[in-house]
Amino acid sequence: MLAAAVVCAAVSNAVAGPERHLRWIGSYEAAPGGTSAAARPAGGPAPTPAASSSVAGAAASSAAARAFPPHPEKPWAEISGDDVVSLHERGDVPILDARRTSVYREGHIAGARPFSIWESDVDDKVKAFFTEGHDPSQPIVVYCSGGECEDSHMLATKLHMAGFDNALVYKDGFPDWQKRGLPVHTGDTP
Amino acid sequence: MNRRILSPWVTVRVQFVLAAFFVVAGIAKIADPPGFAHEVHNYQIVPGALVNVMALVLPWLEVITGVCLFLGIAVRTSARILGILLAVFIAALSINLARKHPVECGCFGTAKVQKTDAQRLTDMKWAIARDVGLLLLVAQILAASRADVRRP
Repeated sequence: MLAAAVVCAAVSNAVAGPERHLRWIGSYEAAPGGTSAAARPAGGPAPTPAASSSVAGAAASSAAARAFPPHPEKPWAEISGDDVVSLHERGDVPILDARRTSVYREGHIAGARPFSIWESDVDDKVKAFFTEGHDPSQPIVVYCSGGECEDSHMLATKLHMAGFDNALVYKDGFPDWQKRGLPVHTGDTP
Repeated sequence: MNRRILSPWVTVRVQFVLAAFFVVAGIAKIADPPGFAHEVHNYQIVPGALVNVMALVLPWLEVITGVCLFLGIAVRTSARILGILLAVFIAALSINLARKHPVECGCFGTAKVQKTDAQRLTDMKWAIARDVGLLLLVAQILAASRADVRRP
């Protein structure tokens, strides 16, 4: 019966779409609730500075660097809703949604990109994000559903292992954003 | 009294109840493996590398054993497997209850409604009580099938 269950699971997983597909071996590095440094894999991508940006962009980046300094010793730092609002207003800070894609579709922070930690393509998305040339010391906001939700911390750990030193976890998550009446988009696009 | 509890009339109905419960629970999890993996991970018992394996295989094991019970195929083996699964579920919930770590049961896939910690802890106690009840049904099937084997 166990063998039959394994076969059925393999077939079902093979035909599953990207939102239902799971890798057989999970890679859930984050210790929930922990704030200690996560070891980066040897030979992983090395952090590279971003391509040159506009003067205004550089000024904004330096302002952000003062407020949110990189923290290479730990995967994430938690920030409040007010911090997220100020970073969102800047417009040049990537915001990543760690919730399920189906939930993202129902409503997400305007401009946020879907990076569901529980879907099998998350590692590919992190790699692709790295190759986009983002400055690894600049803030990246990650969020999920707030409260007990640890998905954003897990995504922050993945980003840290990929070389990003400034992942900022929106502590109260999307429910807080909604409560504040801030811009929300629905659908597949940011 | 004992004979009534172990009668084929009762046993068949117990098999149907257990089968229905596990088939429904298994299908709900099969519908969303990443969601179930999330719930398994939240228990903080299974090593990270095994979370997905468990999330993929366990629901199918529930469905297959449930179908076997419904059809009366390999009844004792199916009941034993379900008994082991229920014991594991009870242990997992009890460990997290002892830790005062509220988790969603995940018994019927991903929860759609956000709950408070107190609500989750209460639900965990009810889930343990329900699983103990199901374990008694498994015991009935095993006892009845053993009585059948002994009967000349």
